Amino acid sequence: MLQPIQALDLVLLFAVVLVSSYFLASYIVRIYTRKPSWLDSFFSPIENIIYRVSGVDQDRTMGWKEYFLSALLLNIVQMLIAFIILVFQSRLPLNPQHFSALSWDLAFNTVVSFATNTNLQHYAGEKTLSYFSQMTAIQFLQFTSAATGISCGVAMVRGFVTNSKGLGNFYVDFVRSLTRLYFPLCFVASIILVYLGVPQTLGGYSTVRTVEGATQSVLVGPVASLVSIMQLGTNGGGYYGANSAYPFQNPTPITNLAEIFLMLLIPTALTFVFGQMIGKRRESIPVVAGAYSLFAIDLIIAFIPNQVQVGPGIETRFGGFMSTFWTVVTTSVTTGSVNSNLSGMHPLAILSAFMGMMVQSIPGGKGVGLMYMIMYIIITIFIVGLMSGRTPEYLGMKITARDVKLVMLAFLIHPLIIIVPTVVAFASGAASAIGVSSSSIGYTQILYEFVSSAANNGSDFFGASANTLFFNVSTALVMFVGRYGPLACLLAISGSMIGRKRTSGSSSIRTDSLPFCVVLVASILLLVVLTFFPFLALGPILSYYQGHVNSFA
Amino acid sequence: MSSISSQTLEKRHAPNDKMSLWSAISGKTLLDSLLRLSPISLVSNPVMLITEIVFFIVAALAIDPTLFYPLANEGERAYYVDIAIILIITVWFSTFSDSLAETQARNTANSLRKLESESTSKKIIVDEKEGTKKIVETPSSKLQKGDTILLEKNDVVPIDCDVIAGIAMVDESLLTGESTPVRKAPGDQLIGGSRIISDSLTARVNVNPEDTYVNRLIRLVESSKRPKTPNEQAISILLIGLTSIFTTVILGLLGLSIALNLGADLSVLLALYVCLLPTTIGALLPSIGLSGISRLYAIGIVAKSGRAVETAGDTDSILLDKTGTITVGNRQAVEFIPFEGHTEKEVGENAFLASWHDDTPEGRSIIRLAYEHGFIPRELNSLSLAESYEFSATTRTSGVKIRAGSGFMLPKGGLKTGGRERSRFRRKFVQESVTEEMVRGTSSSSSQFSSQEQPPVSPSEEVEILKGAPDSIRSMVKTVPRDFDSLVERISKLGDTSIAIERNGEIIGLIRLKDVLKPEIKEKIQSVRAMGIRPMMITGDQPLTAKTIAEEVGIEEYFAQAKPEDKYEIVQKQQSQGRVVAMIGDGTNDAPALAVADVGLAMNSGTSAAKEAANMVDMESNPAKIIDVVMLGKQLLMTRGAITAFSIANDVAKYFAIVPVLFAASIPQLQALNILGLGLHSAVLSALIFNAIIIPALIPLSMKGVSFKPTDTMTLFLKNTLIYGLGGVVAPFAGIKLIDLILSYLFHI
Repeated sequence: MLQPIQALDLVLLFAVVLVSSYFLASYIVRIYTRKPSWLDSFFSPIENIIYRVSGVDQDRTMGWKEYFLSALLLNIVQMLIAFIILVFQSRLPLNPQHFSALSWDLAFNTVVSFATNTNLQHYAGEKTLSYFSQMTAIQFLQFTSAATGISCGVAMVRGFVTNSKGLGNFYVDFVRSLTRLYFPLCFVASIILVYLGVPQTLGGYSTVRTVEGATQSVLVGPVASLVSIMQLGTNGGGYYGANSAYPFQNPTPITNLAEIFLMLLIPTALTFVFGQMIGKRRESIPVVAGAYSLFAIDLIIAFIPNQVQVGPGIETRFGGFMSTFWTVVTTSVTTGSVNSNLSGMHPLAILSAFMGMMVQSIPGGKGVGLMYMIMYIIITIFIVGLMSGRTPEYLGMKITARDVKLVMLAFLIHPLIIIVPTVVAFASGAASAIGVSSSSIGYTQILYEFVSSAANNGSDFFGASANTLFFNVSTALVMFVGRYGPLACLLAISGSMIGRKRTSGSSSIRTDSLPFCVVLVASILLLVVLTFFPFLALGPILSYYQGHVNSFA
Repeated sequence: MSSISSQTLEKRHAPNDKMSLWSAISGKTLLDSLLRLSPISLVSNPVMLITEIVFFIVAALAIDPTLFYPLANEGERAYYVDIAIILIITVWFSTFSDSLAETQARNTANSLRKLESESTSKKIIVDEKEGTKKIVETPSSKLQKGDTILLEKNDVVPIDCDVIAGIAMVDESLLTGESTPVRKAPGDQLIGGSRIISDSLTARVNVNPEDTYVNRLIRLVESSKRPKTPNEQAISILLIGLTSIFTTVILGLLGLSIALNLGADLSVLLALYVCLLPTTIGALLPSIGLSGISRLYAIGIVAKSGRAVETAGDTDSILLDKTGTITVGNRQAVEFIPFEGHTEKEVGENAFLASWHDDTPEGRSIIRLAYEHGFIPRELNSLSLAESYEFSATTRTSGVKIRAGSGFMLPKGGLKTGGRERSRFRRKFVQESVTEEMVRGTSSSSSQFSSQEQPPVSPSEEVEILKGAPDSIRSMVKTVPRDFDSLVERISKLGDTSIAIERNGEIIGLIRLKDVLKPEIKEKIQSVRAMGIRPMMITGDQPLTAKTIAEEVGIEEYFAQAKPEDKYEIVQKQQSQGRVVAMIGDGTNDAPALAVADVGLAMNSGTSAAKEAANMVDMESNPAKIIDVVMLGKQLLMTRGAITAFSIANDVAKYFAIVPVLFAASIPQLQALNILGLGLHSAVLSALIFNAIIIPALIPLSMKGVSFKPTDTMTLFLKNTLIYGLGGVVAPFAGIKLIDLILSYLFHI
């Protein structure tokens, strides 16, 4: 288990995250409620130029369908642009290493991966992508996917605001997310990271002579800026194949903590944004409490083994504790950046990682995590609410059959796009083709691949070794459906909340109460366990009982 | 229609209620439940349909395991037969609970219909050949459109009809809210529920009784294809969603087992599938709704739809009429207060005289009070010759004009209580002093007091006594006692009403009338408040009276000096604040409010307009029952929620029972999850048996409803979540282990 000093570290870190995100939340609310601020004089002219060029009517609000389709369409256009860049990489500038173009399926996988905020990487960045590709295709998508996610999250919240007229204007939200949130935050974060030792350069890789006299290329590049957006935007796609395990992406324990902080910052802030935007701050309680209670449960599972195992692949700079902790965080907020090789992790740490990705709202990816938590709240209220003798209602709005249908649909998508491709991967021989054994460990790796894709997390066991047609296409499809399917369902629920009759809510279940939070956590666990238990039993749970034996028997 | 006291009804239903579950089990019910096993009739219940499909697959497996090789094993046929039997029994339990609930609903509906047809009418049958008329007592429900009926004094008009002969005064207060009787002559319309005050009428029925509101309602609810309520729809969707998830899970496991060669047995997989399916709630959902309606029937209420019952559970505000709901219909005299120069006895005796012809409960209570105090007026024997002034809306007074006679003393010994003693007393009095004819004569003349024929009264002995509202009496006299206003004010501050007594132009005293609370109404209102529902009171009384009653029963919000029309605005205002409003009504001018209210309970004695606008009708016309309706609605929702949560929570234990043995052959390490220590076959059979018998085990709960004490939403939520949610996780662990022990003891499985 944890040593006291480590537990203290965690408590301190969480305290810092909660406090800073609470303050960040007020700023985020100002961005999306478009309250006048002193920053307007700086940002408004820039934004106005963008709106004028693209012909966006700032004051027009959208219904859920238009909002969703705008987001989807814009994302698809961005994918196309990025796809072209990657496929023609060899003929484009800023390619001092003369990397060749990407195959269509790898490029397809990569653009879907980055546009859906997954950042599953079937390649090693430092050996595949040019500076131009990194900075345009990759980093561009990291910004836009983060902005898309947070915009949709905020749009969903707007549906619950009293007397709301619409879900807002996607293009305005999108632009403001970039100009007022991500660009400034990343700028500050990059400078701090550079100060802490992360490289940022456009010069070529330098070759140095080591102390032993051998020569070695030092793979540097515009790393700091990418790291800051990858963590802040819960993207997770690293500059290097080894991601934050690579010394230049995450050189010291201090950068390690700083990057964990960046990962947690915006998703946690959004839980507070919810209450502030709907004008009932206390309604953030179940969202925050639910997320962080599940976080604690995840950590307990991950740290059950008496000594955190330091297996092969665990980065010795951070040790077992920090590596495991990172893994729990990165899967909880669906960032997917890694600071050590997953195959070195204890099965229970992997189980904990699975939990994070299956729940998707601990506190989840920015925007989307909040949406999922609202979904869990609705389904919990529906299942247990009737027992109070009233038609279940959330924020005074009765939960209708249509809401239940959409929630169930959003919930069903997840097991469907995880279980089906996992079975197909083994049945078709695609798994054995990349050297995955038919054992609990091999099965865990394949399951992880699709869970990570479906949850738009992006961490994986395989990396470049999964660069096959089957895995490129299948995971791309899973990432696509896993992102936009639930997004559509949840925005549809929110859209139908607009103008819905509200009761005074005086005698409905208090969602801001401790008992409700406990029931919420229990029902989230129940739903996830009921859906995935047998699949986890065959994977990490079996590995745990087998003690890492590489077979099912 | 004769109204039946709620006690009679409760007596009739109470044993029935306990017995009904068992008494509903009959050969017919059993046969019906077996017929429902046909897949076609299961289409409306997808969970059970899938269970039956799984049964067919396992049955095929039992017949020829080689069909499914390598997913089945020749040596396991007996085991497959066991599984198949348990599966079909599971489905049968579900159809059985449906049949049971429907039988029960039909039984209670029939008893309601009997209740309705118990009233009789005097049907006039004209023999055309002989030209004679014959009067036949006919059940009101048998009346047809076009029938002619005779309506005499005190009859209740059974059904809407047109007057064809006679003139009579009719009390239409239910329609108009105005208590002054209305004169009805040929060509006028009579509305079902009004009452004949004087004389008699011949009228022709102008609607068919099958078309009456209540009859249509019973038919609507009875039909087995009753539409699903919003909550039932939502739960059905949840169940379909869960079913889809578990289908994905099972197909995934099947695929994995084949792809990774894990050697899972198809029958075990299918058993796991059925165990995971929400069979408990899937089986009981239809019967829960139906038995909720049965329970309403049992208290004498017919609901327009299941939705109305459900909405009742969501009620935030109840609008209660003061009179009839909170207080018994009428005030009772409690005190005679004399003014200066007069005695209590004097006031009492004069009040007695003034009330003699007043047949309202109020009037009777004055006579009873006077008699109990021994205030028997000397003029009593001349009362039969007196001229009586009936209450008129314009003067708001009533009274008598008599000639003072020799002292006739009433027999010694008081009248205790109750109108029955008094009427017996009166009958005796009538027989002793005057003949029947004389009484008839006076009463017919008294109903039209402007008629000319008056017994000669010498002016010297003439006494005129009037009683009425203080301000009316005040305006009729020249001098008002000094403390008149202060006394009236003091009485109304107590929440009581005063009636002034005037004798020959002089106000001699006041009668204090007190509202009497209905039994148990205070407790009922308290329980409503405990559940977070806001009770509101509406009354035509003045604010002080309203306030006193409201405070006495614990109501904070009341509307005084309100007219029935005001109900509409009150309901709308509450709704605009996002509240779900329940109300009661009986008159036509209640109809708009009943129509907008979320829950509208009409009295069966009320007008058809009110019944039409409401979504429930109380056959016994007891307005206080609105509170029972709300509680019943809550109970219905709770029962549905409890069994849903229980059903879902059960799945955890079933995973722990079956998953360890699912891949027992290839992955023995998963036995580590077998925390119950179940045997290979016994694990599956125990889980399946538990899954099946939990259905009949919960039938009584689903039919009687979750019992609860009125308390706030959060407490109910917590308590039920603990019992049915947490209990739903724990109970099957114990249940499955118990069945496993029994199986291994009995069959050595």
